[in-house]
Amino acid sequence: MTPFSFHQPRDLQDVLKLLAEGSAPVKVIAGGQSLLLAMKERSARPARLVSISALAAMKGIRFNAAGELEVGAATTYAALAKAKLTGWHAEIAAVCGNLADISVRSMGTIGGAACLAEPRFDIPALLTVADAVMHVASAVGERSLPPREFFNTRGGTHLHATELLTHITFPRVDALSTLAFEKFRFRVFDAAIVTAACAIRLTGDRQVSAVTLVVGAVDLAPSTATATAQSLVGRQIAGIQAGEVAKLVAAEVLPPANRTDHHRRYQAELVISLMSKALARSGATKAEN
Amino acid sequence: MKTGQASADVQGKKKNVGQSIPRKEDLALLTGTARFIDDIQLPGMVYAKILRSSSAHARIRVDTSRAAKMPGVLGTLAGPELVGKVKPWGDLMQDLLVGDHFPFGIDKVVYEGQEIAAVVATTKYQALDALEAIEVAYEPLPVLVDVEAAIKPDAPLIQEGINYEFGEGNIFDRYRVRIGDIEKAEQEADLIVRQRFTTNRQAGAALDPHGCVASYDSFTGVLTLYSSTQSTFMVRDGIADALQIARNKVRVIAPEVGAGFGSKVQMFAHEVIACIFSMRLGRPVHLILSRADIFRSGTARNGQIRHAELFLTKDGRIIGYRDYVIQNCGASSFWGNQVVHIGTNVGLLPYPIPNIHIDGDIAHTNTAPGGALRGFGIPQIIWAKEQLVDMAAVALGMDPLEVRHINTIKRNECPLRTPIGQQVDSTSMDECLLKAAEAIGWAHKRANRSPYEGVGLAISMKYTSCRHPSFDTDLSAIRLRLETDGTVTIFSSDVSHGQGHATFLSQIVSDVLGVGIEKITLAPADTANAPFGLGTYASRAAALLGTACRTAAERLREKIVAIAAHVLEADPQDLETGFDRVYVRGLSDSGLYMENLATFSAYRTHQLPPGFEPTLEAVATYDTPTEREAPDGSGNFSVTYAAAAHAAHVRVDPTTGQITILDYAMAHDTGVVINPLIVEGQHQGGFLMGIGMALGEDYVYDSQGHMLNASFASYQAPQAGDMPELTKIYEIPAPSLTIPGGQKGAGESGTGPVPAAVGNAIADAIGVRFTALPITPDRVLMALREKERSTVKMFRYPDDMPDFAGPREPSAWPKPTAGEGGIFL
Repeated sequence: MTPFSFHQPRDLQDVLKLLAEGSAPVKVIAGGQSLLLAMKERSARPARLVSISALAAMKGIRFNAAGELEVGAATTYAALAKAKLTGWHAEIAAVCGNLADISVRSMGTIGGAACLAEPRFDIPALLTVADAVMHVASAVGERSLPPREFFNTRGGTHLHATELLTHITFPRVDALSTLAFEKFRFRVFDAAIVTAACAIRLTGDRQVSAVTLVVGAVDLAPSTATATAQSLVGRQIAGIQAGEVAKLVAAEVLPPANRTDHHRRYQAELVISLMSKALARSGATKAEN
Repeated sequence: MKTGQASADVQGKKKNVGQSIPRKEDLALLTGTARFIDDIQLPGMVYAKILRSSSAHARIRVDTSRAAKMPGVLGTLAGPELVGKVKPWGDLMQDLLVGDHFPFGIDKVVYEGQEIAAVVATTKYQALDALEAIEVAYEPLPVLVDVEAAIKPDAPLIQEGINYEFGEGNIFDRYRVRIGDIEKAEQEADLIVRQRFTTNRQAGAALDPHGCVASYDSFTGVLTLYSSTQSTFMVRDGIADALQIARNKVRVIAPEVGAGFGSKVQMFAHEVIACIFSMRLGRPVHLILSRADIFRSGTARNGQIRHAELFLTKDGRIIGYRDYVIQNCGASSFWGNQVVHIGTNVGLLPYPIPNIHIDGDIAHTNTAPGGALRGFGIPQIIWAKEQLVDMAAVALGMDPLEVRHINTIKRNECPLRTPIGQQVDSTSMDECLLKAAEAIGWAHKRANRSPYEGVGLAISMKYTSCRHPSFDTDLSAIRLRLETDGTVTIFSSDVSHGQGHATFLSQIVSDVLGVGIEKITLAPADTANAPFGLGTYASRAAALLGTACRTAAERLREKIVAIAAHVLEADPQDLETGFDRVYVRGLSDSGLYMENLATFSAYRTHQLPPGFEPTLEAVATYDTPTEREAPDGSGNFSVTYAAAAHAAHVRVDPTTGQITILDYAMAHDTGVVINPLIVEGQHQGGFLMGIGMALGEDYVYDSQGHMLNASFASYQAPQAGDMPELTKIYEIPAPSLTIPGGQKGAGESGTGPVPAAVGNAIADAIGVRFTALPITPDRVLMALREKERSTVKMFRYPDDMPDFAGPREPSAWPKPTAGEGGIFL
């Protein structure tokens, strides 16, 4: 580590003020599960570290007046994993309970993962597939960003250095019929080699009315298979062949021309396997194999 | 396993050997009170850090002048200023010619992570800041990552200015075995199976990092080095030799060592650097390596390419083995060549093969130094040979179990001298094989197949001590002292780093002396007070140190009984020891307490028998009746051999390539088991390292020799949650006839057969024969996809992949560089 000053304001405005000063390289620390390692290796060298751990309002889960699920940016994975959530919201808890290890989950936060925007981590793909909204504050005001405006396709986020992610809202539980998230990694602790997720809204007669198909870790930001998703709208979910659709998704997010090495070719295979599982879990016809 | 009652009970003496006595070491480890190297704090201690090369091969110029002026900096060091002051080192012990090790690269670096300069400062952060102020100019040289490229005659030279006795260019040693008549065997063979196999680089990955604290006493001139090492005397003699100071002025102490697995069984540059700084400053110097440093500049398992051929008759008898080994020892190597000599010789077991023809080229590349690692060459040859056995079984239409059963050494054939010279004093190899197979339901599972599931076997017999070709010794020693309160202190220089020396040695001493096990303590390994010994490696502790301990205890007992006989006016023959006393046989409620006898010996010497030399100490050294390697490669290097039979049942997920171990059994011959709990712990840990080698671990380099996975986050060592639960562990003892207590080493039996057993099971499951390690899910899935496109029944990975650049068939294999008329004549 290199020398830094440590600030732990009790008030959001004080955090935003510190971020607005901008006189020295400043970093917000939430759970520190990535930042502290980077600082230890000297690959991150903030002169000021602003902790948001004393801001109680940034932790926890609640439903807002509109019925949306509002999650404080400093809410830990462990807290989310334990949350009693129903419908497709339960998949958020499941994802947060199945990453890294218990010590990382106890300290690491959903907001920290969103801001780090590491492509192999689960949270960016989860936020994207769920069409969550990121609420950002700064000394001059607030703004709310959907995933495609929050995550930068060239890596990282579109947050300014003066801005703080305060909370994330997930759509109402009745906004989707299912959300299925799949990933693969060699070791339990590892970040994913590929993540694949689908979010589907069905009509009463189980016709697809809206669908989002997202793949993580194949690009610098989560990849959305928009064309494939569009082709599913209006179809009966049971009539959709999971394996066939998964191949289309792979072709869309990782075209054969881009499968230039062993790793990319393996990722393409995993996109097919994992998206196929996610669709099958959502009611599509299961792929053979 | 049952835990034994350690102390004697009223019914009579209870043996400690054979009991699962909980380890004496565990309380400190489990409560976090054990003191490891980084916990050592000495008054006035300062901190050193090393700047390491970011290039794998380059000429360098280094300038430390700016760093020397940084805040808190007390000194800097670089290579040029030490030329002529520090003696290069590089082979086992002094006076050998290989001098490829030096504290720093002088004008050239040969691997990423090699030491270039060092700084000592008041705090470790000041030292790290100052490292950034050191200026290094690199002039790049061609980088050799691939060992087959490195042995080409026109390859750029990695180690310059060293004349190797048996090698040339980047080949620093050659290996050769000529047993029987291989040409005749080739003519007589009904079947020859051939395959080129490659193995991976694997880290020791000890959680306790390499590091040391050096403390020079300017008044006495004694240099004390606390080091996380497996061998205190090897380090002491190495430091004294490199710095050209008297050996009685160097003292090496090992604190609690959080494992080594072979990766800490040599002297490292950081130890020399800390010593130089401490001698310059007259202050204690702390120098601990980071995980990335340990990956890049610690030692890794040597990678091998084996062009292996097995010759069989149609009834399944193995009559010949031929191999050309190319070993990648990295840029410099201390033990690397020994790995080929010993691993190959011993790894040919458990088959007493009559005709053997092996050549080896042992070479440098611009990668991490190769060293000792659990199994020491055995896992590599087992990986090749045990897969050839399965390939032969398929070709002969036989059960792989049957082929092994036909060829293993049987218990009733022992003692047996094999054609290559191993003196197998006892074994239960064949029983272990049958037990392991039965435990996973071998016959049933082969008859009732499930898709994507398969079973595999692999067997080995491991050395349990070793006389090295360039290290003509195989000794361990113990000193015991009966203290004046009746307690016993054990002194040993063979460092315990997970093997439970404090417990198992106490079990032996307790049984021989009749002193309660709770009264026996192992002193920290310290060259100032321990007898000379080689260290803890090669699964040698139980057999060798245990034997020295038994002998020392018997000698001490004789002295104790002599005093008691004098005081009791009894015949020593009528006396027994037990219950912390010496008593007349049959009268176990009476007698003299050890405490009193020891007091006579120290403080009341008029009570001693006439002529008795006071104080109750005894020393014993045990050197094994092993042999040096003969020019034909033959010899008995190990005092006895420990059998291992492993059976695996795996499932492959055809959607991800994930490999799941559904069932695994291991049956071992560890001879007389001193402590079943410790032995099981060794097997469990050995299994984890075997699984790591089989399924995940490797040093991944780019073409410029940069290691891409030098952290625990990216290096694929299995973690507890990834491991299948191993419950089928069996011991079938065949007590050693050579070792007085009958025990054999357990430390490495759990590792060696794992990659081959898993590889055979995967081949059985999906028809893909992996010839390269590790077998990762991506490789499995891509092999499956490619196999679907091809028509072959048994697909080889990577040999049959479209982009495979190596030789696919034996006709394209390279020839050994030495040739028949070469350097060995």
